[in-house]
Amino acid sequence: MPVKDRNTQHARVAVIVLQLLVAAVFIILFGRVIYLQVFQYDVYSPISERNSIRQQIVNPARGLIFDRHGDLIVGNEPSFTITITPLSFDMSSIPLLAELTQQEEEEIEALVQEARTYSLHRESRLLRDVDFQVFSNIQENLWRLPGINHQVEGKRSYPSEARLSHALGYLAEVTRDEMNRSPHYRLGDLIGRSGLERIYEDDLRGSKGTQFVTVNAFGRSLGPFSGGALDVDPGKGVDIHTTLDIGLQQIAEELLEGKVGGVVALNPKTGGILAIASSPDYDNSRLAGQLDRDYWRAVNSDSLTPLFNRAVATAQPPGSTTKPMMGLIGMQLGLITEHTTVHCAGGYQRGRFYRCLRSHGDINIKEAIETSCNTFFYWMMDQIVNRFGLNTWTSMMNDFGMGIRNDIDLSGEIRGLIPDSTYFNRAFGVRQWGLGDMINLGIGQGAMGASPLQMATATAVIANNGYRVQPSVVERVAYDDGTVEIVRPDPERVEWMRPDHLRAVQEGMRKAVTEGSGRFYANIRDVAVAGKTGTAQNPHGQNHGWFISYAPYDDPEIVIAVLLQNAGFGSTTAAPIAGMMYEYYFHGEILRPHVYQMMLDFEPAPFNPNRN
Amino acid sequence: MKWYTRFDWTLFLTWLLLSVIGLVAIYSATQGPLHQGTHIAGNFFRQIIHLGIGLVIIVVMQFISPRTYVGLTWPLYILCLFIALLTVFFGIEVGGERNWLNIFGFRLQISEFMKIATIMALASFLSNQRNLSAQDFKTIFVIGLLIALPVGFITLHGDTGTSLVYIALIPFILFWAGLPYGLSLIMVAPALFAYLTVVNIYAAAVSVVVVTIAVFIIEKRPGITIAGFVLGVLVVIGVNVALTDVLQPHQRARVEAFVNPQVDPQGAGWNVIQAKTAISSGGLYGKGFMQGTQTQLRFLPEQQTDFIYCVISEEFGLVGAGITLLLFLIMLSRLLFMSATHKHPYARIVMVGVASVFLIHVMVNLGMATALLPVIGIPLPLISYGGSSFLSFSIMIGLCLNFYFYERDFSIYA
Repeated sequence: MPVKDRNTQHARVAVIVLQLLVAAVFIILFGRVIYLQVFQYDVYSPISERNSIRQQIVNPARGLIFDRHGDLIVGNEPSFTITITPLSFDMSSIPLLAELTQQEEEEIEALVQEARTYSLHRESRLLRDVDFQVFSNIQENLWRLPGINHQVEGKRSYPSEARLSHALGYLAEVTRDEMNRSPHYRLGDLIGRSGLERIYEDDLRGSKGTQFVTVNAFGRSLGPFSGGALDVDPGKGVDIHTTLDIGLQQIAEELLEGKVGGVVALNPKTGGILAIASSPDYDNSRLAGQLDRDYWRAVNSDSLTPLFNRAVATAQPPGSTTKPMMGLIGMQLGLITEHTTVHCAGGYQRGRFYRCLRSHGDINIKEAIETSCNTFFYWMMDQIVNRFGLNTWTSMMNDFGMGIRNDIDLSGEIRGLIPDSTYFNRAFGVRQWGLGDMINLGIGQGAMGASPLQMATATAVIANNGYRVQPSVVERVAYDDGTVEIVRPDPERVEWMRPDHLRAVQEGMRKAVTEGSGRFYANIRDVAVAGKTGTAQNPHGQNHGWFISYAPYDDPEIVIAVLLQNAGFGSTTAAPIAGMMYEYYFHGEILRPHVYQMMLDFEPAPFNPNRN
Repeated sequence: MKWYTRFDWTLFLTWLLLSVIGLVAIYSATQGPLHQGTHIAGNFFRQIIHLGIGLVIIVVMQFISPRTYVGLTWPLYILCLFIALLTVFFGIEVGGERNWLNIFGFRLQISEFMKIATIMALASFLSNQRNLSAQDFKTIFVIGLLIALPVGFITLHGDTGTSLVYIALIPFILFWAGLPYGLSLIMVAPALFAYLTVVNIYAAAVSVVVVTIAVFIIEKRPGITIAGFVLGVLVVIGVNVALTDVLQPHQRARVEAFVNPQVDPQGAGWNVIQAKTAISSGGLYGKGFMQGTQTQLRFLPEQQTDFIYCVISEEFGLVGAGITLLLFLIMLSRLLFMSATHKHPYARIVMVGVASVFLIHVMVNLGMATALLPVIGIPLPLISYGGSSFLSFSIMIGLCLNFYFYERDFSIYA
């Protein structure tokens, strides 16, 4: 049967062809597998590792801040954060995410875009400090949201009664520039923007930890990789112990409320700040978590500039509070002794007439400070500039910490203004200024500016018998391994100040409180206060009230400088605040509640931000 | 002759070994900590039952005369078509496919069993032809019809992957049944052209020329050669126009995902990238049983079914992947050898048909897993999880074992 033979032969060939086909298919497949597993191994093996092992950043707890009694001022509380890994995120789940987080879709989209721009692979914060409801919504729906994760972080909490807005400072998200400059920061990290948070940022922030976790295809974490052997624990931020006294601070803040000004209380022996307040202030806790945009805008646009720390950053003419310093300079330069008298007939005639408050008659330096005689110091300033030159005075004023930075560990400190000839040449032009511009300086008026901090530092020099201290808020920094760093330098002796001269000025200041302008409010029970009021003339409005003081007179423990802008006389506006603070500091309570109430009710003239 | 010398142990053992490899891989893919307590975890135990049933079926099948099977061919074919029709209306819909029929609590996927019935029907039809030849139009038409019926139902089920298996079966059967080599080549070539067009249009153009020359050398008939060439050019142009003009970019990305998975790594490219990563990171010896991160962390999609080969490759490396391939190679070669030596045409066609179906499945599934072919969801025979497919492939093997075992008795009835 030839036909059948042909068919049989065809079938046989067909089987051979099929066999060859099978062989070819298997050779191709096996070749492909060899290619992948042998030659592509190096390419894909890392991918498979990266797939399943994720490096997560563990954020450290920020360091705590304590007051001098060990009470917590700034702590941390849990805050819920939603994070995103843009690479694994599916853009089509934006509506779902927006719904779960109760945000606008556009808002979420913008945030996702921002995270994408930062890094595709890294996990960034999408929403910080969401409320617990949103957090649990996300948690339940995590499986529908690849690339989305959640974590519990710390946010700043302020358990203390005092606000301490400016001293503590606020945190804000790092800028792109800061991220570029330092490897410590990643998108969404917070950084101290002002106050202690800014100055001690490096200590407070701690060090980031790393955690290697195994994740599944949905980005869900399944637990530590290789038992956490590769993990690096985060280093907790260093705790900071300050010299602040919360009780004292609270009184200063309460009494400043509704007014514009600043208060600084410090320990003259160490320079440790006991209280530092500036008004108006703001609420740090409202800037701590998810940024309260409305509040932030309000704080920033307020014409009274609540973010501005008047305790260290304003420069106002110190007025009569300059007089104790003038006395020391005059005695040192040999213009007067403590017994030298000057005749005050109600003013000083030199080119023009410089008025005094009244006719004091023949008075010495102690009486001049006690009664705040202007004539005495006009005459002295005239003598100084004629016989020694303005710059001698300038450099001696600098020794009080006036017109220079005192390097307090807070942000925004200014130099203030103690003019020298260079300044006048620049400000008024060479030969365009003269005696008239300088004699005023003798009573702290004219081209002169000081902050409450500077006045407190200068008062501390007098109270401290010529030792200048560096003011500081932080007493020690407690590292984890137990080392405690004392951050304060030793007091520095101002060489030219002599004990007998200091005593004369101190007696004058004591008398100013017992007999002079401070007697109504600053002279408190059982404790001897020495001080000097000041009423700086303000050509734009009400005068600024000043009061500088220290106590106890014999062995000073505390110096207080108060500035109330547009408040009028220092003796009736600034001095009562110091008086109340002394009562609290020494007696633990307010002895004269009526004075306290008077200061709470006191309303200074409206502050004109354009002219002050 | 003792019974055990007539039994084909090679085929049986490769069946058993591949099934056990499948069990091991399914265990790894479903018993990891991520699957504990889920429905997927039960797949392993169900597959053990499938293996047990399969073994019993194969053994029982050996006690039945091959004549019974031959006699059952048409009733079986019609029954399968009927069930397929029922499935169209009463099937359980899973992921857009309606290919399971719930029969007394068992989920039956008729498209799997239909492969056996179709092969048997083809064998019956061809072996009853006086001249066993696919030369004449009528034979080709009947063969086409016998395959088109199940393809129609399965397409109605929505399972295009399985339909493709049936369609791919046509050239194998026609070729074996005597279709001229050149025509066979022209039948297969369009698939090759289309594939190469997606990968590289220049390679496609070259292949058209090469195939045309080959057709001319084999057939020496200018008419067929020119027809083949025109067909090839049309396929290349058609596919190319479809890719560039007809398809939306995301659809094109899906088609081309196996070539360029990076275009859409989260979508169409995901499977390809994860599968390649799983296989490649296995290296020579693999990451070890239950140690494959891609598998255990569920980066692999469909890892206990369509992408099961990636599990083997990741955890057992080139060694495991190679052994699996080798077993398939031995099984297919054995089937083809048995087919070539068998005296009865019915058995020969069944064996070739079974070998072809296995080859198509292995080629498409492994081609997909190794990113040589687009993602087409069909199981890897005997290894992928799935009761219907496992039992269907087991019955095919059982049938071939039976025909070989009873070869002598068989010829009496010829």
